[in-house]
Amino acid sequence: MQVAISVVLVTILLVLAGSVTAQSVRPPGDAVNLEDSTTLGPSNALGNLSDSDIWRDFRGGDPVNIDDIIRGPIEGQMMTRSGQLWREIREDYIRKYAGWFPVGVIAILALFYLIRGKMRIKGGLSGKTIARFNLNQRVAHWFMASIFILLAISGLIILLGRPVILPLLGPQANAIMTSAAMQGHNLFGPLFVVALLWMFIKFIRGNFFQIVDFKWIFKLGGMFGGHVSSRQFNFGEKTWFWMVILIGLVMSATGIALEFPWLFEDLRILQASTILHAVGAIALISVSIGHIYIGTIGMEGSLDSMLKGEVDENWAKEHHDLWYEEVTGKSATEVTKEESGS
Amino acid sequence: MSYIEFVEGPLFLIAATIFVLGALWRVIGIIRIGRKKDISPPKGSEAIGFIRGNLRHFLPRGIFARRTWVHIVGGYGFHLGLLALILFAAPHIVFIDARLFAVPWPPLPRWGFIIAADIAFAGLIVLWVRRISDPVMRLISDWDDHIGSWLTFLVMFTGCLALQESHVFLRATHMLFVDIWLIYFPFSRLMHAFTFFLSRGNTGATYGRKGMSL
Amino acid sequence: MTEKSEIAVAKFLEHTDSEAASFFEACVHCGECADACQFYLSSGAPKYTPTYKLRPMERAYKRDKAPFSSLKKMLGLAPSPVTEEELYEWETLVYDSCNMCGRCTLVCPMGIDIAGTIRKMREGYAAAGIVPEGLQRSAEFVEKTSSPMGVTIKALKAQIKHQEDATGIKIDVDKQGADYMAIFSSMEIMGYPEVLGAYAKLFKRAGLTWTISSVAYEATNVGVQIGSTPMAKEILQRVVDAAEALEVKHVISPECGHAYGAIRWAGPNMMGRQFKFEVVHIIELLDQLRREGKIPAGKKDSRRMTLHDPCQIVRRGGLLKEPRKLLDESCSDFIEMKGAGVTNFCCGGGGGVSANPRAEEVKTAAFSLKVEQLNGVKDLEAVVVPCGNCRTVFEDGLDAYDMNLEVIGLSELIAATLEEDPASQGTG
Repeated sequence: MQVAISVVLVTILLVLAGSVTAQSVRPPGDAVNLEDSTTLGPSNALGNLSDSDIWRDFRGGDPVNIDDIIRGPIEGQMMTRSGQLWREIREDYIRKYAGWFPVGVIAILALFYLIRGKMRIKGGLSGKTIARFNLNQRVAHWFMASIFILLAISGLIILLGRPVILPLLGPQANAIMTSAAMQGHNLFGPLFVVALLWMFIKFIRGNFFQIVDFKWIFKLGGMFGGHVSSRQFNFGEKTWFWMVILIGLVMSATGIALEFPWLFEDLRILQASTILHAVGAIALISVSIGHIYIGTIGMEGSLDSMLKGEVDENWAKEHHDLWYEEVTGKSATEVTKEESGS
Repeated sequence: MSYIEFVEGPLFLIAATIFVLGALWRVIGIIRIGRKKDISPPKGSEAIGFIRGNLRHFLPRGIFARRTWVHIVGGYGFHLGLLALILFAAPHIVFIDARLFAVPWPPLPRWGFIIAADIAFAGLIVLWVRRISDPVMRLISDWDDHIGSWLTFLVMFTGCLALQESHVFLRATHMLFVDIWLIYFPFSRLMHAFTFFLSRGNTGATYGRKGMSL
Repeated sequence: MTEKSEIAVAKFLEHTDSEAASFFEACVHCGECADACQFYLSSGAPKYTPTYKLRPMERAYKRDKAPFSSLKKMLGLAPSPVTEEELYEWETLVYDSCNMCGRCTLVCPMGIDIAGTIRKMREGYAAAGIVPEGLQRSAEFVEKTSSPMGVTIKALKAQIKHQEDATGIKIDVDKQGADYMAIFSSMEIMGYPEVLGAYAKLFKRAGLTWTISSVAYEATNVGVQIGSTPMAKEILQRVVDAAEALEVKHVISPECGHAYGAIRWAGPNMMGRQFKFEVVHIIELLDQLRREGKIPAGKKDSRRMTLHDPCQIVRRGGLLKEPRKLLDESCSDFIEMKGAGVTNFCCGGGGGVSANPRAEEVKTAAFSLKVEQLNGVKDLEAVVVPCGNCRTVFEDGLDAYDMNLEVIGLSELIAATLEEDPASQGTG
């Protein structure tokens, strides 16, 4: 008799479990509190099944078989183990530490600026310039920069809304900002793909690594003294270019997956996408801060290269001497005197 | 009165009035300056030239294409995308229906909206980015150009931020920027939207009168 | 505001009619006009952007005449007044580096007639006396002799005599009641007098009577180039009075750029009345006579030729097809250069630039665009240039760029390739 009752109860439990979708974490209204099974109600209410049996049935698979654990949701499956894994990675690692990387970069740069100061041009501005980037390159760069900044800010709000914005500004503000950020991010996302392609086409020439680049990084780019040679783009610039292109490709692919999730059968792809997307974003945002620093306050004469397309001759001689010699045919060893009364 | 009630109510009324009256005042003001009648014997029709001039300048001339293609692609992308958004976006149709007239056409599906918005944004950003990078545009641009570009961008941007249609605050902010844009419009270069037909038409009329090819 | 700037600004405002106002109100600062301008293309200097050349006039309009200008002035948002210093700063942009050729007008997405507005802007400069020395000197010559180059009736008569001897055809001066009265540019009279003989030959064959006036033989109008309507009217008055006194039916505007526009389109408006004669451009007339079969083409010229389109005749004058039809019929190897027709490049010397020695350097630089076009036609031997001013610019320019090319006028070519007159007794 007791066996019959327990079988019926377990059957009811399983039927109810099956009728609830796997995503729901609310137990059915008449679920039995398993912890009470030993103190309240009839003994052995679960029948001959152990706790782990119950969990295994909820998970719908063999705990030892890794494929079974992480495969996507199927009919009647209440829980996905992979989802829990994913959630742990996201909450305990990514959301917890991600925000500190850009902050860390800013701190390091602030320190660098306080100690080393703005990197000045040896010999000062000569007043004579040579062309470095043509109009199409500049437009492509600033287009990408605008899209990147919009995506970065909206992306950071989405990622850090709950841990950072919520405690600081309250739930209402967080809800508004995150909703706005999500819409903005999804809208500009596709434009990033276009901008990436355009950047690749405009800047691929001259961005392949060469021996002289490894000599450059060996001497730390001359940032702590000494002179290093470079062609049109140095090791740092090339590394940034390839980071943007390769990580950007990952961002594009994962971003598209996340914007069109209904196209993917396997939940694993989406889970992996969010992780890769977040990690890639933090990497790009952190290094972009360094890029913006060097391009604006960190180095004298660099902003002009991308705003007006022209650079001072002494800047070129100091930072890209081999390129200067290629373009002008003149030697880069002597500093150009400042033009008087021109 | 709440934020949304203010920006969709009295402020919108003021802004729309300033917009309509200001634009009319400006266009009529230009026409009223008047012109001396041309008494030289004409070779062709001024009226037809007026229309032809307006139509011809929609198309770029092939020989100039090397520089102008960015303006053509960016410009048309922005303008056509924005037109599609203003007239065919579902939230806008609801707004127009409630306040102006019954809208007889169907709204864009969401994916259509996204495409139109992306094209419009890409066009606007490319054109503004060009304005700060190209030496010619750097020389001839003034603060009116930049404010006009940014204000239009902010209207579009706040609109897209409100797309989830879950937070009244976001929709109200979009409306606020729309109101500011409407007030700024008649006093600025944004008026080119209404003056271009006059300038193209005048040149076209001269061409038509003199039998010049367009 | 100094007296000069006040005068200039007053003139700017006077000449800003609703048409010019619509232009100032429509410019969106896109800069496409730069890429149409030979001065910008040859130098890369952004200051040559056509819309930029109009700045002072635009500012005056937006400060004092535009709708809302009073409101903006009250709020301190109107443009600052135009100063004399700025007017002088812009002088080279308005005169030295603008041919009023109209390429910018073609490319502008808003259809703004920048070239035509420069013409109006020069009114302010002329009234204030801020004009290039070279043009000022031409104006003084015109005052004395009616010719900007100082060509007197004596000189003209000498040239006429030479041509009569060369062709064996009489050229009538001051013939009352002739069908046509021809006016010429001084450039033609002194530099290319064969055109007189060509007219004689062509008109004899066509059987029409024509004459040259001894008091009004000059077609060019330095008033138009300087930008002074009072001066332009005075110069034109001479021609109109002479033509009406001689009771001719038509006045022929010669192979010259601005002359046609000055008499045909601006003329009646300057005089305030219709003329008692019709104005026809020589190219129009030749085309008409050719269609009527009165000047049939004979043996074709076999040289490899191309056609330069003078701005004021083709793009701004409407005579696109006529020169081409005539050349097709008279030449066996006529090839168009790239960009020919309505979008052709200006020679660089129009709009008063060639009369301005200060502009010599930029003019020669602008000619480089024309050189590029010419070099694009393989084995080119000759270029037909139906404008006396362009011809001079071509000759100077080809010399400067070490190019060997024959420069021919259209009338001379048509006359030279005229079919042998079966009625003539060998005196052609």
